[in-house]
Amino acid sequence: MLEIDRINQNEIQLKGHFDASQAEKASAVFDTLESSSTVRFDHLDYISSAGLSVLLYTQQRLSKVGGILRLTGMNPHVRMVFEYAGFDQIFEIE
Amino acid sequence: MEKSFARNMDSLADIFVFLNGASESFNLDERTRYSINMAVEELFINMIKYDSGGTEDISVGLQLNDNRVTVRLVDYDSEPFDLTDLDEVDIDAPLEQRRPGGLGIHLVKCLMDEVSYQYKDRTTRIRLVKNL
Repeated sequence: MLEIDRINQNEIQLKGHFDASQAEKASAVFDTLESSSTVRFDHLDYISSAGLSVLLYTQQRLSKVGGILRLTGMNPHVRMVFEYAGFDQIFEIE
Repeated sequence: MEKSFARNMDSLADIFVFLNGASESFNLDERTRYSINMAVEELFINMIKYDSGGTEDISVGLQLNDNRVTVRLVDYDSEPFDLTDLDEVDIDAPLEQRRPGGLGIHLVKCLMDEVSYQYKDRTTRIRLVKNL
């Protein structure tokens, strides 16, 4: 199960398990971001390619208006997936 | 250990319960658990997405032997789709050229030590091996 907390207009916190069954719910929130934003991964245990696709789509959409997504607090396993996908090259990961 | 799952997205929660139970009994470390969970999710989603007309449940099995975990997915009602014969995903492409297609299978290949595919009589069998 994935929890998505909108901390403020430009900050989202993800908690739990971001699998394909959660992608639609997540897209609905990410689609409301309008400028550079931070996504906190501190409490995210798992993400699969469906979650990566939501982030990729958002990053591509925001880049067209000069924005980016900053991703913070990833655990080593989630970070590993980003590296295998080459997403460490297209996201700012702190 | 083996269990069958209905071919819809709602099965994912039950699949993770099954996989976590198996990982627990095999005493697998966190990284291996993550890799197996992700590989099975990606392949299961792929099977239900590309064979949405299929009617049979999909079977998932795990086995621990000689310091390696073997994972098997069997879809008894499917069209051929050889995931070992796909174009490589360009993980160095610039942001605007990135596409999500193929990413899941690319990750399965990165996370697993062996990936094999067999298709016969409408049945797809995928075998994954993760060395411990």
